[in-house]
Amino acid sequence: MTRALAGFLMMMVLAGAARAEDLVSGISQDIIEITSNYTGTDIVVFGAIERAEQAQGRAIVVVVRGPNTLLTVRRRDRVAGVWVNRDSAKFDGMPSYYYLASTEPVDSIAPPRVLARHGVGTEYLQPSAVGSHHDARPFREAALRHLKQDGLYKEAPGTIDFLSETLFRTRIPVPAEVARGQYNVEVYLFRDGEVVSAQSTPLFIDQTGIERRLFNLANNAPLAYGLICVFMAMLLGWISSVLFRRPA
Amino acid sequence: MEIYLPVAEMSVTWLVMIGLGLGVGFLSGMFGVGGGFLMTPLLIFSGIPSTVAVATTLSHVTASSMSGALAQWRKQAIDFTMAGVMLSGGLVGTLLGVWLFAHLRRQGQMDLIVSLTYVIMLGSIGAIMLRESLTTLQAYRSGVTSSSRPVNHVWIHRLPLKMRFRQSRLYISVIPPIALGFFVGALGAIMGIGGGFIIVPAMIYLLRMPTNVVMGTSLIQIIALTAVTTVLQATSNYSVDIVLAGLLVMGGVVGAQLGVRAGAKLRGEQLRLLLAVVVLTVCFGLLWGLIATPRDVYSLTLGSP
Repeated sequence: MTRALAGFLMMMVLAGAARAEDLVSGISQDIIEITSNYTGTDIVVFGAIERAEQAQGRAIVVVVRGPNTLLTVRRRDRVAGVWVNRDSAKFDGMPSYYYLASTEPVDSIAPPRVLARHGVGTEYLQPSAVGSHHDARPFREAALRHLKQDGLYKEAPGTIDFLSETLFRTRIPVPAEVARGQYNVEVYLFRDGEVVSAQSTPLFIDQTGIERRLFNLANNAPLAYGLICVFMAMLLGWISSVLFRRPA
Repeated sequence: MEIYLPVAEMSVTWLVMIGLGLGVGFLSGMFGVGGGFLMTPLLIFSGIPSTVAVATTLSHVTASSMSGALAQWRKQAIDFTMAGVMLSGGLVGTLLGVWLFAHLRRQGQMDLIVSLTYVIMLGSIGAIMLRESLTTLQAYRSGVTSSSRPVNHVWIHRLPLKMRFRQSRLYISVIPPIALGFFVGALGAIMGIGGGFIIVPAMIYLLRMPTNVVMGTSLIQIIALTAVTTVLQATSNYSVDIVLAGLLVMGGVVGAQLGVRAGAKLRGEQLRLLLAVVVLTVCFGLLWGLIATPRDVYSLTLGSP
């Protein structure tokens, strides 16, 4: 993340100095509030290219990154007929959510070196630390496979709509099972395999209302919270017993 | 139809969760077991993180046991002395279990140990109950009235610290009930269960308690144990989801009442036969999960282990 950020800042400086094509972008909402009926939502990312040159050789990539997390991958092996967790590998500093929308597949936009530097494309995401006693590659592939299956990592090439020569827009789904915290919406403008401009906007996903209060109670006053749970269970048990009592 | 769970941090269909509570609660009321051994695997199967499933199931068990216990209490079918003695061992066991839970989770062997323990416990208990109830039913049919075997477990009667349990009409050492309570307490914290499916057969076959007081006594001791464990889990793991607990409990208490009624219509042997079948089914399901070739040998965990 820090590496990506450093690269991003450097590139911003370079882009500013060159006074070449520039990018302006925004998102439809910068806070997503999780309420009791929250089942996921969509955000719209839109932008415009200033001082646009010809469309040839140009590509737009929009990346939404969730807060960083630790990924633990375990492999099961058969021991005496039973499948047991044996080897494991840990990847730290990986985004808990990653959605990429682009004008074309990332591999045809820029060389792997550039993609890896900016963390563009699920294959090019670099963990900040790898903990493993053996070859971590199959574990890394397994992690990506699981994340894609669960809808937490996704690449959607060809989903950016151009409303005019320079005006674009894309719709990004935020599923129900996402971590709370600060997300980053990054928009990249590529030209001939290099990033010429980029912009990052924070997006906050957090609980509100009663959910928020319950979550806070569970974490700040766990004893009271636990007692409330027990009391509720006993009370409901008692009520049902009274309600269902047959006149003897 | 969807509701967001603040601690599990995910959405579920609330009707499904109430239904789950109802179904498992029905079995609880019928057999006098908490139903945790069914609820925990079912919750994990529906995508709830296993830590939340284990901790939250306890509330469901408290509630359905409460509702069942009150019904038994009115029938005066509770041996409070026995429950108290078992509980003294149970509380120590719970503390050990919560500690062991955290340790196993760090090792990444939690799921294996839980499944193996379930398979061994459910398999042996289910087999014993099945055999017992089948021979009793057979004897019933062929007209042989007395099925009481010569009193075995002689060693139990040689143990010191004997105590009179009036309600159970027993005069036995307090060591077996305390040991049983300790064992179930430890297991309960690890597996997210009240332990009824272990206590009930152990009371019948090991302590030789009369079947009519077994249900109520096991329920009352389960209530106390799960209440303590819920608070311990809430304060040490922050993994009790009150919204999920509420949904399960609402279904569970109604189910438990219906179950008690259904159970009253059946004879003891028939009840035991049915419970044996349920226990063995869960056992084979878990065994299959251990030996069947997994679709993907790799598994992924997000966040701190």
